[in-house]
Amino acid sequence: MAREKIHVGLEIGTTKVCAVVAECRRDGEVRLLGVGESPSRGVRKGEIVDFQNASNCVHDALSDAEERSDHEIKSVWLAVTGSHIESSNHRRSVNIEGGGEITEKEIEDIASKDKEVSLPKDNDILHSILQQYYVDGREGVIDPIGIGGSKLEADYHIIHGVVNRIQSTIRCVRKIGIDVEDVVVNSVASAQILLDDQKKASGVVVIDIGGGVTDYIVYHNGVVRQSGVIAIGGDHITNDLCIGLRIPITRAEKLKIEEGSAILENLSGAEKITLKNDTGFSGKEIDRSMLNHIIHSRLHELFLILRNRIQEVVPVHLLGSGIILTGGCSLIKGIREVAESVFEVPVHFAHAQSVTGPTSAFDNPQLSTCIGLVKYAHAVDADAPQESFFNRFISSITRKLHLI
Amino acid sequence: MITYPRYLDRQSETHSLLIGLGNAGINIVDRLISQTGFPMESLAINTDQQSISNTLASKKISMGQMTTHGLGTGGDPEIGLDAAKESAGEIQRSIVGANIVFICAGLGGGTGSGAAPLVAEMAKQNGSLVIAVVTSPFSFEGRRRSQQAASSLREITRFADAILHFENDRMAELIEPHAEVRETFAICDNLLFRSISSLNRIVTSTGPIPVSLPDMLAVLRHSDDSCLFGCGEAIGESRGHHALETALRSPLLDRGRLLHDAGKLLVYISGPPSLSMAEVSEVMREISNNLSPSAMLHLGVSATQDHSSPLTVTIMGRCGTGKRTGAQPKVTPDLTPLAQSQPTPPPASKPQQAEASFFEMPLAPTAHPTEKPAAPKVQQPLLPLDPVTRGRFDKIEPTIVEGEDLDVPTFLRMKLKK
Ligand SMILES: Nc1nc2c(ncn2[C@@H]2O[C@H](COP(=O)(O)OP(=O)(O)OP(=O)(O)O)[C@@H](O)[C@H]2O)c(=O)[nH]1
Ligand SMILES: Nc1ncnc2c1ncn2[C@@H]1O[C@H](COP(=O)(O)OP(=O)(O)OP(=O)(O)O)[C@@H](O)[C@H]1O
Ligand SMILES: [Mg+2]
Ligand SMILES: [Mg+2]
Repeated sequence: MAREKIHVGLEIGTTKVCAVVAECRRDGEVRLLGVGESPSRGVRKGEIVDFQNASNCVHDALSDAEERSDHEIKSVWLAVTGSHIESSNHRRSVNIEGGGEITEKEIEDIASKDKEVSLPKDNDILHSILQQYYVDGREGVIDPIGIGGSKLEADYHIIHGVVNRIQSTIRCVRKIGIDVEDVVVNSVASAQILLDDQKKASGVVVIDIGGGVTDYIVYHNGVVRQSGVIAIGGDHITNDLCIGLRIPITRAEKLKIEEGSAILENLSGAEKITLKNDTGFSGKEIDRSMLNHIIHSRLHELFLILRNRIQEVVPVHLLGSGIILTGGCSLIKGIREVAESVFEVPVHFAHAQSVTGPTSAFDNPQLSTCIGLVKYAHAVDADAPQESFFNRFISSITRKLHLI
Repeated sequence: MITYPRYLDRQSETHSLLIGLGNAGINIVDRLISQTGFPMESLAINTDQQSISNTLASKKISMGQMTTHGLGTGGDPEIGLDAAKESAGEIQRSIVGANIVFICAGLGGGTGSGAAPLVAEMAKQNGSLVIAVVTSPFSFEGRRRSQQAASSLREITRFADAILHFENDRMAELIEPHAEVRETFAICDNLLFRSISSLNRIVTSTGPIPVSLPDMLAVLRHSDDSCLFGCGEAIGESRGHHALETALRSPLLDRGRLLHDAGKLLVYISGPPSLSMAEVSEVMREISNNLSPSAMLHLGVSATQDHSSPLTVTIMGRCGTGKRTGAQPKVTPDLTPLAQSQPTPPPASKPQQAEASFFEMPLAPTAHPTEKPAAPKVQQPLLPLDPVTRGRFDKIEPTIVEGEDLDVPTFLRMKLKK
């Protein structure tokens, strides 16, 4: 049963820690009450490398969010990412007793077969997402309950990760006395807010290029077909500029945000950008063409890798709703043109739908994940049976999700 | 056969271009061509008409006719730079299209010092991998030349991807104390051209263990330290051992002494199809016995098609933090004593005891008595060696996709892929 409830989404990103406090209405609308942020320290490639620093940043972001929303935060929904997070598609089956009708029992039996999926020994399942059912080999069955047959099969998309690495993110939050309701993979969270059923049905990819990682998720025919994390993000671009232009890392970051562009066309050969001198930096002239070339090379390569990953499951030209770009790096000038040249389908930017509230935060691509978390929490509230919560953290995040 | 995460796609052809700048640079290029029938394309650039007309280089540019009126630079780098600017269009047409550009110059004069930074910048903007091979002048040439060389080197550092920097003083002092300047130059040139051809072989090699570009750049990136370089070849029995001996005897390794100081070292072994992994391991073991434990070693191995080719060992590196000092920690003599001074020792002949051989070093007052374990430790040559140029990702888990280290800037990796 749907209730009105306040949820808090927390992303400990490579660049910023951000917390979103929002109220979820019965009609599915998410109303933002407050957004708290703190620059990240001790996070690299989406994972915590310096526990103390990261924990302090989480504290700052949550306090900020409390103040802005006037809501006392006790627990959060936590986004996780990192190169250790992987996914795969599996088929499983159960025999229908007595050859009769399929009931709740068979559905539960097949859902509980997560335990039989063979994973690397340090890994556990984060999400087990239903793709489709088959009854006696007939595919595309959406709701098999009540159908007669002797064998029920189902395809699942399994997202798994290294337990220790997920736990260290959880510990970072628990350490300051905040409970973690559940962990949600970045891409799954972002998709909640960026996609509607129509997009999922016609085929779409969400690509979230953050500071340390790129999270992606592919939907086709209404279901998740592929998802993953590539540990490449805006930090790489900054580092490339630092090495390629021989400028300090802080200047490189600033240059990227203020002047960065991936456009190679119509560059007048000699355009220069002057970097003013500063303490410890004697100023410098930068070639616009070199700057753009470095950024273009990185983004182009990233998109090529993504295209190959997507092609493994769906031909890219079948993605009727194209590509949706989000994350801080989607703000880089010319990124859409690079993406369109690689994917050859329309590329759009994230606009969070069905979110209202006092801030314009939902226009900010850096917040897609966090707002998506709240939406996810809301969906779980509306759908999931209470008893599956809080058992083990890992089992609590294993849901049969029609809702994803 | 070793499987090794390939860093570069070596299918595609590389086009190397060797540029000699100024008299010294052109001399080195000419020596390369005359002595090795060098396969690379070459370009000679100078303000001095005469040197241009005599060079063996395939392309020639006599630059700055208006600026210098054919009178040379008078040793002034500003004039050298103006001359290069005047002829920039012509230079650009000759260098565009090369993936790897070697810029070779003797720093200190007007032409080489003035033009090298600009040429490096142009090549870099064309997207080439730029490797500068430069010398700094003898101290007897005077302070002005040293200063001009230093400031030119600083400029080159801004644009070159890698720099091999050799100090004339050191080469001369260590080679033949009584040699004439002419001869000394000849010996320097020899070392320089060997380093260029080794580097070219290294960057274009296809393995079985290729040296990745980031590894190479990590070793050669910083120019402040002068370069360690040694190269030797041998055939016949114990060829690995003999080739290594010769390489270590290089004056630029201070006859092997500097090996102990090396912070980063690249060892490149190439040989005929019969080259075995056991030989490679043996060479690596001998080298690692003489290295500081903190040194970072990069290994490359390639096999040629030619059954008669010798086994060659090339060592390149930079000093570690410590500057070169007189006395070195004791190095356990693991190798047999060496023969002396022939470029390639006759492999069959019994090496004789030599006075100034690499292992007979002044014993330091046992500063590090337990520094070197007596038992030979075996260096594992099969492991991929840690690449750098990863900047801020240096200490964290690398992003490896299909065997490529994606933390290394894409644009750098693309250079050799084109
Ligand atoms: N290795 C080597 N070094 C040389 C040779 N000739 C000169 N040098 C060194 O290179 C430095 C620069 O000399 P050049 O190459 O003659 O100068 P340039 O670049 O042509 O410039 P100009 O002043 O215009 O003649 C000198 O200071 C010497 O240290 C040579 O034949 N071999
Ligand atoms: N206007 C802009 N132009 C270019 N890049 C930008 C801009 N604004 C932010 N970025 C870059 O976006 C990145 C941060 O994005 P985001 O906030 O989505 O990352 P994050 O969630 O903290 O990190 P991650 O999800 O990778 O752990 C940084 O690299 C930042 O430099
Ligand atoms: Mg993010
Ligand atoms: Mg000259």
